[in-house]
Parts: sequence; structure tokens; C-alpha cells
Amino acid sequence: MVTPLKAEHISKSYGSEQVLDDLHLQLYSGETLSILGRSGCGKTTLLKILAGLEPADQGKVLVNDIDIQSLSPQAREVVYLYQEALLFPHLNVFENIAFGLRLRNRSEEEIKEHTLTMIDRLGLNGMNEKMPHQLSGGQQQRVSFGRALITNPSVLLLDEPFGSLDADTRSNMQQFFKNIAKQFDITAIFVTHNVKEAMLMGNRIATLANGSLSVFDSIDAFINSSNNVVQEEIAFWESVQARRSN
Amino acid sequence: MISTGRARTFWVKVLIITLLFPVAYLLMLSLATQWIFPSVLPASLTLDRWSTLLGASNLFGSLLLSLGIALSVATISTFAGFFSSKHLAYHPQRSLWIRLSYFPFVLSPVIYAAVLYFYFIKLDLAGSFVGVILGQLLIAYPYSVILFSGFWSERIQQIEKLTQTLGGSRWQIYRRVLLPMAQGLLLVCFFQTFLISWFEYGLTTIIGVGKVQTLTLKVFQYINEANFYNAALASSLLVLPPIILLFFNRKYLFRQRW
Repeated sequence: MVTPLKAEHISKSYGSEQVLDDLHLQLYSGETLSILGRSGCGKTTLLKILAGLEPADQGKVLVNDIDIQSLSPQAREVVYLYQEALLFPHLNVFENIAFGLRLRNRSEEEIKEHTLTMIDRLGLNGMNEKMPHQLSGGQQQRVSFGRALITNPSVLLLDEPFGSLDADTRSNMQQFFKNIAKQFDITAIFVTHNVKEAMLMGNRIATLANGSLSVFDSIDAFINSSNNVVQEEIAFWESVQARRSN
Repeated sequence: MISTGRARTFWVKVLIITLLFPVAYLLMLSLATQWIFPSVLPASLTLDRWSTLLGASNLFGSLLLSLGIALSVATISTFAGFFSSKHLAYHPQRSLWIRLSYFPFVLSPVIYAAVLYFYFIKLDLAGSFVGVILGQLLIAYPYSVILFSGFWSERIQQIEKLTQTLGGSRWQIYRRVLLPMAQGLLLVCFFQTFLISWFEYGLTTIIGVGKVQTLTLKVFQYINEANFYNAALASSLLVLPPIILLFFNRKYLFRQRW
């Protein structure tokens, strides 16, 4: 069975600061791996190395069992999505979603058919002609997902994609992502510093601290592990509960 | 409400007349056979001066020369400024490079040209068409770099990287993302650098050594000779291209963008 993404012995340092230290990572087909870590722990650096946007000091990255270390970002079939939707401001919804197909010089009929289907599946019907500044934050994120998914990437790298949304929209988008992940059989890494979001979005969870990645085989394994942020979260809610009882 | 609307219309008309009057006056002076004080209007109008001057004093040649220089300077400085400002903007020494871009303006173009004149002679560029273009680029190019330096932000860099992972090559990123996003700024830069070159006098006089007779130089020549009618004709030719450029590009220059 083909492994969508595998990273071996990844190390990266900036000057004397070791950000990633001999890191290993494997992603199974159709799963979302949540990576949890504090700000500045190297989550973004890891994603950028996987996407080819930043070089690793050592190690290799394999996509579908092929070593892609020497490939440019456009040839990797790994799409990196930022916290912001970053839609192209000069293109409407249809053209934003169709963008990846135009880069690949697909025929007009194919572009139209695929894009309209994607718009329908994203629940954005009737918005084809709208410009990005006319959309809400949540709608912009939907378009951003559509623009990535239409290229049929092997792996999606999501760098706190809902970080700039308000609580309600964030909750809706989390549910939306769960649905499309199932619908499109997405293999993804979801980076966040929010424990609840990590547990909600991931099939498995990993924590990144001091340059090392600890991957837990299941959500239960993560919850039951000692010395992690879940324990802090549980302790917090227990203290709230205790205060209310008193 | 009505009186406020009428007052506004009145002042708009006054403003338009004020702006158009100098152009109309120049045009009429260039067509006048004789216009002596205290006559409000010229005695008669003629096209003779236009037809004679365009042929005899090579004013048409100066017009073409000025157009050639201004279009070259505007095109080269706009595109060179766009591409090189990107490298400057993301350079670790960004602020130093941007500060250096202000150097020609701090020094004043005429002094700048006088300082560099030695090198133009050595390179056999003084008094040549290419020399004047190069000289004017020393002013227009830094202007373009300064104008575009605000465009290259962290957000643009992120969009560029995202486009790469979507499958975009370097050329596709420029063609489909960066150039369309900078379209408004590119047009403003082209227009501004065209004007810088078109009305440039001091630097062109020094580097051109009087051999490169642009239209602006001709206007000053006629004014020095106290030849008002010819100066008016040359000035009419001088203001025409920028007005035409502004008229045809107004919808792009003043359009509201995203």
C-alpha cells in the first residue's frame, strides 16, 4: 500500500537554535493528522519543508513512496494552505477555484465542469461571479479549500486555517472540513495550537515540542498520555467545576 | 440642498475652466497671426505656423524624439523597477537599499547629471539618444523602485508561495498573479515615469549636450528667443501626449480596485 507522505530524519536549525531534530512522520491514506504545538515550536517550518517552500538541513520527504526532496514546490502535489484564505483579489470565485486547472492548461469544458461541480459541493452556488472582498471569512476559506482540492493534491497541509475566524464561523468550518475530508478522501496535516481543535479535526494527534514530534496512535492514546496539554485542559475544567460547586 | 448642489456644480465648472484655460490659451496663441495687448482675442487665426514649423524647424522630429525617449524610459523603468524592487523588498538589507533609492532625488537631477557627466563622456554616451535615456533612467528607475517597494509585502510573498504549491511555475506566477495584482500600480508608474522623462530639462541638457533636442528643450529655446508664438506651438505639442495618455487610461488609472 502506498504511503501518501513520509518524512525521515528531518532536521532544521536557524543559527544555534535547533527547530526540528531528527523528526520522523508518516501519514496514512485518507487520514488527517493534527499537529499540536505552541507558537514558535516549528510547526510552520515543518509544513514548509514538506511543501518544499523551505529546505531542510537534512532528511528526506517521500510522497506516494517517491523521494521528492529535489522537486520544486509546484511538482510535489502537496498544497500548503495558510491561516488566511489568500484568495486572488483580481479573480472571482469561479476563477479562483478554477485557477489550478488553468495552470495545468485544461480545456475550457473540463474547467467549467470541474469548477461548477466543486462550487456545488462546497455549498457556494450562486456565488460564481462574486469577488473575494464580497465574501465572508468562512466563504473565503471554502473557496480556498476548493481551489486546493480541484488540483487533486496527494496531501493538504493546513497551517491553522481557521485561526483568523470568529468562534461561530470557526466551529462551522471545522464541521465543514470534517465533511469534505470524508467526501474527498483527503489526506492532510492539520496544524493548530488549540487542543480541542486538534482532537476534533485529527484521526491521529502529534505534539511538537523542543524539535521532536511525538505521534499518538489514537485520540484515546493522546488523552491518556501523561505530560501533555490535555491534562492541563482537564485540570482547568475540573477547577472551574470545583469552584462552581463551592 | 439645491443651493449646495448648484454651488458645487458652479465650483466644479470654475475648476474645469481654470485647468483648461492655459491649454486653450496656448493653442490659440500658437494659431494667432498677431495678438497684441489690449486685444482680448487674436486678430485672425492661421494654421500656417503649425504646417511651417512642423516641417522647417524639425519640431515634429523633436516630438518623435521625445516620444521615443519617454516611452523607452517609462517602459524600462516600470518593468525593471517592478522586478528589482521585489528582490530589494525581500533583501535582509531592505531599508538600506530603499534609502539609497532616494539618492538621485536628494542630490537634484541636474547636479546628479553634472557629477556623472564624466562617465557619459568616457562611455561615449554624451550627446546621444541612448545616453539621454540612460541619464533619465537614473532618475526614473529609483522612482519606480520606491513606488513598487510598498507592493511587495509578506502577504504577496505568501500568495506567491501558495501559488507555487498549487502548481504554478515562476512565469505563471508573474503572468496570472503578480502582474494582474500590480496592474494599477504598473499603470501609475508607467504614467509617472513617462511624465518625468517627458518634462525633463536639466539632466537632458547636460547629458544631451544640446545635440538631443527634445520638445521640452525646444520650448525653452523659443522662450529664450522671446518667440512666444513658436513657444506656444511647441508647448501645445508638449502638453498633448500626456493629456491623450491620461484620457485613454483614465478608467484604468482611477478605477477602484479590490
